[in-house]
Amino acid sequence: MSEQFEPKIVAFVCNWCTYAGADLAGTSRTKYATNVSIIRFPCTGRIDFMLLMKAFENGADGIIVSGCHPNDCHYTSGNFHARRRWMVYKSMLDFMGFDTDRITFSWVSAAEGTKWANLVNDTTEKIREKGPFTEFKNLDYSNFEKINNDAITD
Amino acid sequence: MTPLQTKVAELFENGTITLMIGFKSALTKLPVPFFFNTASQVEQLIFTPECKGNLSVYLHKPEVKQAKKVGLLANISTLRALVQLTSENQLGDIEKTVLTMNAQNEVVVFENMDEVEVYVQANFPEYSEEDKKLLEQLNAMTRTERWQYWTDQFSACVKCYACRAVCPMCYCSSCTVECNQPQWIKVSSETSGNLEWHTTRAMHLAGRCINCGECGRICPVGIPVHLLTAQMNLDIEKEFGAKTGFSCHSGYALNTFKAGDKEQFIK
Amino acid sequence: MEIKNIKSSDIPAFFNQLIGSGKVVLAPVLKKSGKVFFEPVQAYSQVATDYIQTGFSAKSVVFPKVEVLFSYTKTEEGIELKDSIADIPETVVWGLRPCDGSAFNYMTEFFLKENPDAYYAARKEKTTLITVSCAKADNACFCTSVDLNPGSTSGSDVLLTLMGEDTYVEVMTPKGKAAIDTSAALFTASEEKNKDEYLAKIDVKFSMEEIKEHIKTAYDSVEWKNVSMGCFGCGACAFSCPTCSCFDIQDEGTQNKGQRLRCWDSCGFGLFTKHNSGHNPKTNQTERRRQRLMHKFKYSVENLGIVSCVGCGRCIRVCPAHLNIFENILSVTE
Repeated sequence: MSEQFEPKIVAFVCNWCTYAGADLAGTSRTKYATNVSIIRFPCTGRIDFMLLMKAFENGADGIIVSGCHPNDCHYTSGNFHARRRWMVYKSMLDFMGFDTDRITFSWVSAAEGTKWANLVNDTTEKIREKGPFTEFKNLDYSNFEKINNDAITD
Repeated sequence: MTPLQTKVAELFENGTITLMIGFKSALTKLPVPFFFNTASQVEQLIFTPECKGNLSVYLHKPEVKQAKKVGLLANISTLRALVQLTSENQLGDIEKTVLTMNAQNEVVVFENMDEVEVYVQANFPEYSEEDKKLLEQLNAMTRTERWQYWTDQFSACVKCYACRAVCPMCYCSSCTVECNQPQWIKVSSETSGNLEWHTTRAMHLAGRCINCGECGRICPVGIPVHLLTAQMNLDIEKEFGAKTGFSCHSGYALNTFKAGDKEQFIK
Repeated sequence: MEIKNIKSSDIPAFFNQLIGSGKVVLAPVLKKSGKVFFEPVQAYSQVATDYIQTGFSAKSVVFPKVEVLFSYTKTEEGIELKDSIADIPETVVWGLRPCDGSAFNYMTEFFLKENPDAYYAARKEKTTLITVSCAKADNACFCTSVDLNPGSTSGSDVLLTLMGEDTYVEVMTPKGKAAIDTSAALFTASEEKNKDEYLAKIDVKFSMEEIKEHIKTAYDSVEWKNVSMGCFGCGACAFSCPTCSCFDIQDEGTQNKGQRLRCWDSCGFGLFTKHNSGHNPKTNQTERRRQRLMHKFKYSVENLGIVSCVGCGRCIRVCPAHLNIFENILSVTE
């Protein structure tokens, strides 16, 4: 019997909205995919774009980034800064050929427990279909034993 | 003496400058940056089309800041860098006298940064034909083709940080690569770590890079790193209407926002 | 030393036979960027021939930009350590210049003289250096000023000098002989010939004897500041240099697996000399650049008896400011 691929999803969420929304999903006993590991930030404005790539480097197959809806940020404007940052970062990753379909950005409020559960389920299925992120994992990380002077390319 | 040399000698003689930053020809016939502080050395000063370096980067050097009254030879990219650095409040501690050669080959001396701004806006440089073509080619590729292209390029990167060193906008006294608690950017050179470095650098420069192209030109292994920030600037201009190095009083696209910023990808 | 001849038109066959003999062959390849780099190749048709010098040296064949010293994995039984020297293949570096060949002398002294470096030793043991004389040079070349010349055999296993239809072959070592023997039929005996008319003419910029004398008092020269002002403190010169051997040891990994790496480092970096205490004995770029030039022309002579600059000119070509090492040495020793 072949084992189904279980994607590893890392979620970067803000404490006041999405984390609370995830809590609500839990207290409501909503069943949803267990593939996600949640990292709690005070605000999406605090999420450094470097962290997303670090998550992929450490084995994530997909990422969710989620916070308060615009105008509802607990710190007033953190999510506005985050939104701009994500627009630029996504564009940069697209330009580099990075598979940005593996990153899901969303606004999930503290009242949207169901939305959170659906988001996780949908993302998990999407990444499951895409398969493990071998494109990234196959870069020659940890493979220095190849003869030095691998082809320096065009 | 050329008109440029005459002018610079004058600036020394009337005490307007105590240090001049320009170019001279080395024994290799290649232009090198030339720092001098007396009119007697002015005859070595040159400014030919081969003098491509962006000299504004030296304004961050402590030895230059000590000089207080600095003369700087600038091409249009350098002028744009000065405008951007002024809007980032980085040039307040030096009295600068900026010189350039205009399209008619006349020496132009700028009294202050407002004059530089006017000149830059009137002569705002376009992307070079070569860069436009490369960007077009890259944007026409499929995602996986672009991924192949950039990962191939970054496998060659040796982490010499020449791209960072030569950039006038990279002036952090403590760069993220120097942090080892935690080690954000790996010391070792391998493709995924190199990708991380270049992504980080491009993001730190998005909306600030003035497209002088020096980083790509001087990369010892020939990676066109300047295309990353060039693309970023095009996107930022399109989305937020911000042009880098255009105004001495502009904000920074990534530390401001509009409530009405629109995107299509946030669920 | 043996002297042989091979028809220049037979060189591709000799080259392809080296590949056929199962060795990894690194040769200069022209990239789209216009720069030439050493890469593993599969056929002579890939080899660049019309260029002055490669962008980076071939030192990574014995001193890779990243080298795994050892790796560890956590298993149920405990920690498994894996040493990394085992699988180094037989390698031929083709198309070095005489300056690069000579650079290996310094590297060997540096890595093997006092506390022999097992990694360097293992790689050098498996490496054959086939050098090609220089018929052309540019303004950055200055080998003739550091007691070398465009036809020097120093450090090489074989030196090839193109002389029209014939190529003059100087076989310097048993390793070189083994390489020649893979195509023994292509080589004929030859008498000694004068290479001069086939070599580039490079002006002597300074006398090494004079420099060695004057540099003894150069430390306090006021010119150091002037020659260093243009320096940005990047690693381009050190990384492209065939004799720069400074390195950084980095541990990368997690609880479960990881490795210890030796990576190239550069004395130009601000943090190169920073101590854990926060003290940095070289606080500005002038002091760092002085250290670099003094090392090349004085300290390596004192420590190992060899001038560690071979006049290849790479540092000048890759430097974003094109700082000129030979001009600077002249300024500070005036």
